[in-house]
Amino acid sequence: MLKIKLVKYEKLKSMLPSLFNDLMHNTIIVVDAKLSPEEEAKLIQETMSLINEKFPGIELGSIALAQIKDTSINKLKERFAEFLLGRKMGITIIGPAKIVKRIERHPEELLVYFG
Amino acid sequence: MVLNALKKIASIVKAIFRKRKNLKIGLYGPVNSGKTTLANRICLDFLGEELGKVSVVPHETREIQIKERVTMKVDGKSLTFNLVDTPGIATRIDYENFMRYGLSKAEAKKRAREATKGVIEAIRWLDEMDLVLVVLDSTKNPLDQVNITILGNLDARKIPFIIVSNKIDLKRSNTMRIRNAFPNYDVIGVSAKTGAMMKELYKMILKKI
Repeated sequence: MLKIKLVKYEKLKSMLPSLFNDLMHNTIIVVDAKLSPEEEAKLIQETMSLINEKFPGIELGSIALAQIKDTSINKLKERFAEFLLGRKMGITIIGPAKIVKRIERHPEELLVYFG
Repeated sequence: MVLNALKKIASIVKAIFRKRKNLKIGLYGPVNSGKTTLANRICLDFLGEELGKVSVVPHETREIQIKERVTMKVDGKSLTFNLVDTPGIATRIDYENFMRYGLSKAEAKKRAREATKGVIEAIRWLDEMDLVLVVLDSTKNPLDQVNITILGNLDARKIPFIIVSNKIDLKRSNTMRIRNAFPNYDVIGVSAKTGAMMKELYKMILKKI
């Protein structure tokens, strides 16, 4: 059975081992922020260390809210909010490669393909 | 937040004091974008010998490959550097994909195991680079998450880079799509296979470093 789990960005680090367990068991993780590039790189490294015959990896897609709300005022608002919150406003989708075929990133949207 | 600010300051300081000796130029990019073909072209042009083996089977390069002391000479200017070819970055590696290329199950599993280690190594080496050539396949959608992650990491670590839109010899090639996707970055279209536009890339490297 396919599950979707919404995870708060602040809890991501502490939940990482259990999240990989979820990913190995048909759960798609949705994070309420855009991961930083360094966090994405670490996630890829962690994924690589866990790949085996049953777990071929992940599909990752993230987008910043500032990219969606494209007016200058909105971008400024987002930057200010990011400064205050210490995280990038946006969304990150991490899906098990076994069920998420690909995540297509467009300038203003993310499309998740199953198959 | 404070930690992030400190990390940024450290990377800026590192960039400023980066040693000019043993310059390293790294080739990064997704799988099968032509990194090793480009490395071979650079090595052939300036050393007369190739660096590594290329293949249509994904993840042919599974270890970091280095060619030391490559001296690039273009229009009276020269630069000596170590050329670092890295395994393609990926978020998924399924051994069953390799079997479609005729590999046995055992060979495919071995290749997958080595490929995962290669990706980890490639990311680990990023901080060692003085300049990175991000090699993208110009026939594919540039807004791939792997590309975004590589470029984001280079930006965050203040490592200079050039986006190399490779495979311009192919009919479906579209360098403009890459330029439109990354309007703030330096993009050059080349064909590592035929050598087209390579001199322009070399000039860009000499200007950038």
